[in-house]
Amino acid sequence: MKARSAKKKPAAAPSGLEALVVGGGSFGTALATLLARNRRKVRLWVRREEQAQEINRRHTNKAYFPELKLPPNLEATTDLAGSIAGVPFVLIAVPSKGFREVARQVGDYLTGDQVLVHSTKGIEPGTFKRMSEILREETCALKIGVISGPSLSEELMAGNPAGATVASHYEEVARKAQSLFAGSPFRLYAGSDVIGTEIGGAFKNIIALMSGAAHGLGFGDNTKALIVTRGLYEMTLYGCALGADPVTFTGLAGIGDLMATCSSTLSRNFRTGMRFSKGEKLEDILQSSGQVVEGVSATRSVQEQSKILGLDLPMVRAVHGAFFEGQRVQDLLHRLMERTPGRENGRSKGSF
Amino acid sequence: MVVEVVQRVLHDKARDPGKIETLIFDTLYEERRRLETERDRKKAAEEGKFYRKMQSRALRGGAEEQREVLAEIVRHFAEEVLGHFSEPMYRIATQIVPVGLNLLLNTLSPLRLISNFPNGLGKVDDQILIEGHTEEFQQLAKQGTMILVPTHCSNLDSPLIGYVLYRLGLPPFLYGAGLNLFHNKLVGFFMDHLGAYKVDRRKKAPLYKDVLKVYAGYSMELGYHNLFFPGGTRSRSGMVESRLKLGLLGMGLNAYIHNLRHDKPNPDIFVVPCTLNYQLVLEAETLIEDYLKEEGKARYIIEDDEFAQVKRILEFLQGLFSLESRIHVVFSRPLDVFGNPVDGEGRSLDHRGREIDRRKYVVQDGEVRFDPQRDQEYTLELSKSILESFRRDTVIGSVQTVAHVVWRWLREINPKMDLYRLLRSGGAQDSLTMTEVYRRLQGTIQALRGLQKREALRLDPELETSDPAAVFGKALAHLKSYHKHPVLERKGDRLFHYDRQLLLYYQNRLSFAELPS
Repeated sequence: MKARSAKKKPAAAPSGLEALVVGGGSFGTALATLLARNRRKVRLWVRREEQAQEINRRHTNKAYFPELKLPPNLEATTDLAGSIAGVPFVLIAVPSKGFREVARQVGDYLTGDQVLVHSTKGIEPGTFKRMSEILREETCALKIGVISGPSLSEELMAGNPAGATVASHYEEVARKAQSLFAGSPFRLYAGSDVIGTEIGGAFKNIIALMSGAAHGLGFGDNTKALIVTRGLYEMTLYGCALGADPVTFTGLAGIGDLMATCSSTLSRNFRTGMRFSKGEKLEDILQSSGQVVEGVSATRSVQEQSKILGLDLPMVRAVHGAFFEGQRVQDLLHRLMERTPGRENGRSKGSF
Repeated sequence: MVVEVVQRVLHDKARDPGKIETLIFDTLYEERRRLETERDRKKAAEEGKFYRKMQSRALRGGAEEQREVLAEIVRHFAEEVLGHFSEPMYRIATQIVPVGLNLLLNTLSPLRLISNFPNGLGKVDDQILIEGHTEEFQQLAKQGTMILVPTHCSNLDSPLIGYVLYRLGLPPFLYGAGLNLFHNKLVGFFMDHLGAYKVDRRKKAPLYKDVLKVYAGYSMELGYHNLFFPGGTRSRSGMVESRLKLGLLGMGLNAYIHNLRHDKPNPDIFVVPCTLNYQLVLEAETLIEDYLKEEGKARYIIEDDEFAQVKRILEFLQGLFSLESRIHVVFSRPLDVFGNPVDGEGRSLDHRGREIDRRKYVVQDGEVRFDPQRDQEYTLELSKSILESFRRDTVIGSVQTVAHVVWRWLREINPKMDLYRLLRSGGAQDSLTMTEVYRRLQGTIQALRGLQKREALRLDPELETSDPAAVFGKALAHLKSYHKHPVLERKGDRLFHYDRQLLLYYQNRLSFAELPS
């Protein structure tokens, strides 16, 4: 069989470039900023020429960080081919919705010696594929990894200490990621459970929606703790059904991320849940926030897949009921509370 | 070759002098245990003497002497493993294979042998269907080293593959065959001359396995095509392999890296998965018995199954050929050592059909390097691709389909019954109506056709067009042609089940398929 298409020939490798961050949204900008502040030679690929010029000339990215200055050594580009060639480390930080398309473009230029990592916390609608699976399908990369954990962009940009998990089946991937961020306030802990790390990142957004909704309704910390803990249990059930190691959910990609996202007003998903429970329409919230709220599409995917897997995930069902079936959050919370409580760690009676 | 293999094993194993003594005594312990059950007394005495001598030298000697002892043990293994392969001998042997198979088929009827001799040669060709990516396989064999990795369910697989390679006009393939295969003198003769080297599966010492691996890897570097069954042993359950042995599989990547580091002109190693599909399996009864008995535990090595009885082979082949039950040998799309598909020109392709520079996978900081952890993961990728190919290119026939239908019915009407009890007792009902059989068969055939359309598996042509009654009739005829005791029997309007173990065995071939309940 003939190859359908040959790879496009990229330009010569930019000299000394250590990392390319693909995606000029809040998290991509934050990670690229951390690397640049860490004196790494890093480039940020953005889709729009105006955004690239703004970053290169004014050292700002006002759409996401209106008040902040970016490091002058952070270079932005719209030239994917020229930036990928020869760079040892490529990090994709784009929303799950456009992830496959971007991955395919990256796949046009990537070669097998390069390390490919993503930090997208989502599940592809319809296929239920994790982002690493998409990377495997859309690129020739084998050395693939994921970075996930409590990492609110605003706090990273402020230089606050933070940590996350970098998971890959390849030790070289974790080593490279760790060495790039070594010395920065962002600590990376190595792991090999790619499934668990990706599921943790995607699932916690659903719990953040519920936690935000409870907050919006005026419930206190006890309620949020209940939601987070039972959410963690559902996350573990779901993750294990897909092959994850349950221990992963006790780490930064699980409970760590839940703690940050489910109580912070900096979290988009928490804020969305909060506004929704106060009566705002979902479309209005999404439009006014101007950013992707991953938890909304993750809810739909997890709800559909849990049915196929035969899993009972009451909290996911409740979030789905609220956001997609027009049910009142108050009623859903009451219904959850009316369920007969089973054993805390028993599987047979469901989780809430 | 022996010298190189010994050197490589020592280079790897004797690197740490502190570990040599442990390695020697671990090997001696495993070998002594094996000799306790060796049936060939003469051989046991000879080997026992050799190992006692090694032990005594290792106990008395210093570090240098122990290194020598280790080298001698490795040499001992290497000499035993390396076959008597010679290319001229291979050519002679392959010339007589078709005649040999026909002799097997016609032995029970010498008159037929004489009268049908010219047609007999053709008949084997008709019965064995070679399908799939054969052209790519043939093309790539000219530009790189091939590793052929077939599914494995019968000891007839090796002579079958030998014959198919001959028919494709391919050069010899080195093959590590179990010692028990050589017990059957007729088949053993062909094995010995088809590039087979002997593998003693009773030898449990890791050092012995290292010798096997290094030998296979080194032969690949030299450009010898290799054949091995990546499942390690015949599928006991009848299922298509779902897990592969990675040790030997990884030697392809190892050889590729070696070749690149030595700037060889043809460094490429290509892997070709292949499925061998029979309606019936010669050793089905013994294999499923072993599976059920030993599930999850260590298995004994079957030495006296149907394969050791020439009469049973003849019965099997006669049944097979009289019913025109075709054997499908399907060559899957070739792969590189990282699991990517390869086209006929040797180009690795990604999922989108874009060409991949595969050399880059083993480049680190600009140099081609070994990285054991990385290479282990690459081999895992390769094994995933092989398993996918196995499923996609498995050919399902009428026997598997009917067995599946009846077995599923048995499970449905006995939902709470333990597997072993169901196998023994047959459950609540000893038969089902033919109307029910046809109804269920209709649904299953339709589902299978859907799966074939999605390229999730392949179907024997009899399943592509026949109606349920015809499929049922063919399945029963096949089963009756070989298995001594009835598996299923139709009496009037009812179908009775008798040998449920064989039902389970044959339906297991479909266990990977997503069939609606």
